Amino acid sequence: MTMNGAAAAASRPAQRLAARLPGLLLGCAGALAAIAVWSLASHALQGGGGVLNRLPGPLAVLRELARYVEGDFARDLVSSLRVFAIGWVLGVVAATLIGLVLGRSALAGAVFLPVVEAIRPVSSIAWVPLSIVWFGFGLGSKVFLVGLAVFLVVIVYAVDGCSRVPTDLERTASMLGMRRLQRFRHLILPSTLIEVLIGSRVALMAGWGTVIVAELVAADSGLGAHLIGVEQSYDVPAVMAAMISFGLSGFVMNALFTRLERHIVPWRRDATQDAP
Amino acid sequence: MSPAARREQAISVMALGHAVGRRVLLPLVGVVIVLAIWQATVAIYRLPLIVLPPPWTVATTLADLVGTRAFWRDVGVSLYEFVAGYAIGTTLGVATGLAMGESRRFRQALTPVIESLRFIVPFAWIPLTILWFGTSYAGKIMLVAYAVYFVMTVSTARAIAHVDPTLTRVGTMLGMRPLRLALRVHLPAAMPTIASAARAAAAIGWIAVVAAEYIGASAGLGLMITNAASSLATGVVIAGMIVIGLIGAGVSAAILAIARARPSAR
Repeated sequence: MTMNGAAAAASRPAQRLAARLPGLLLGCAGALAAIAVWSLASHALQGGGGVLNRLPGPLAVLRELARYVEGDFARDLVSSLRVFAIGWVLGVVAATLIGLVLGRSALAGAVFLPVVEAIRPVSSIAWVPLSIVWFGFGLGSKVFLVGLAVFLVVIVYAVDGCSRVPTDLERTASMLGMRRLQRFRHLILPSTLIEVLIGSRVALMAGWGTVIVAELVAADSGLGAHLIGVEQSYDVPAVMAAMISFGLSGFVMNALFTRLERHIVPWRRDATQDAP
Repeated sequence: MSPAARREQAISVMALGHAVGRRVLLPLVGVVIVLAIWQATVAIYRLPLIVLPPPWTVATTLADLVGTRAFWRDVGVSLYEFVAGYAIGTTLGVATGLAMGESRRFRQALTPVIESLRFIVPFAWIPLTILWFGTSYAGKIMLVAYAVYFVMTVSTARAIAHVDPTLTRVGTMLGMRPLRLALRVHLPAAMPTIASAARAAAAIGWIAVVAAEYIGASAGLGLMITNAASSLATGVVIAGMIVIGLIGAGVSAAILAIARARPSAR
């Protein structure tokens, strides 16, 4: 019995791999097929395929990507990331503070939440021309746009987090003699911050998309400015390489933040344990 | 009428009045406060019209704008690009998602491609669509279709995979073939999730149209407000933003209404 169990345990990773192998192979086959279709299409369209005749093959794009990574990629990425990080932090902080006020005060919530709800459908992208009128083409307008995009997402989570503290917990806390400030510090704040954390990961992609649009319109520096620059010189392989570098940086950011979130979540257990 | 009934009626009237106060009066107060702050900022700092026009000026600008033909042409162009792209993207997306939900093999083969393309946000495609299609409608239609496609594919596949297995068993027992099972049982059962994904996709698609029009277009709301911004007609810019927001909200409400009207969506 125990021998059998040990053997089963030893062979389990191998079994799991064997079970997943067809799926992995299919995935590789799918990716290869997509690349093959792309190559064939670029080959077929080379001799004049109407509007789509400027489709470079995967190899040309890969070469261009390698050249970009060796060249200005780091500088552009740092420039975009700086805009993104400043705007994101400002947006999260503003949304948390305003969310706490609107979520905890019934009157303020009833008066101002509908206003926030009315502004939300006007996506941050629609603010691009106005923010350029206000802040010019520099850092200010882009930070404003990213901050707004992040704010509009996170505010919903912040209001949710602080208005949905279970009433039982609040009653228990006040019965046990916790003062208002203590209740705020140990009950409401942790509950809000968890939701804010989730919201700020959701806002990651919204903010990153806004950075792209802001840099495309106000092209002075960053990945978006590079993208518009190579577009204006009709360099299709470089355009596609820039798109891929955008996708890769978004992917890496999302993966890092998901991992970070997993690390931070244990803190939530500690906070609720020492609260009552 | 007995006194008790009269009192009950009075209480219900009071409750109604209270609800109206909370739902209508307080938000109205909020709007008035925001407008007052806006007006006060303009008055106190003596902001010129090109920085921030007062609310009343924006309102009259909007009224003037609605009276012009050019405005309706821009709205028409943007809506046409959106509706065409949305229809293509939703149809293809639901079809792909359905196939991915029904067949595990298909899902495994397609997932890496879908997942890697999903991270190239639609906005990053704008320059390429301009190189390919110029400032024509086709580029924007493709962009919207692309933006909508991935949202619809991923959420349809997930919704189909989460359909109650009992329904599948009942269908199989009744002798339904896989295709009929997919179309007549799984798709209707997944409809509520697909409908809410369709609303999220509409918001993304609509803003993708506007963003694409900023960068290269011959007509449309996005072009209208960037042109207004470069000639420093800030009133027109804000009026245009309001219109963009209203259309976005209207499209979302329309999709909700369509989803509610379908009996299978419930």
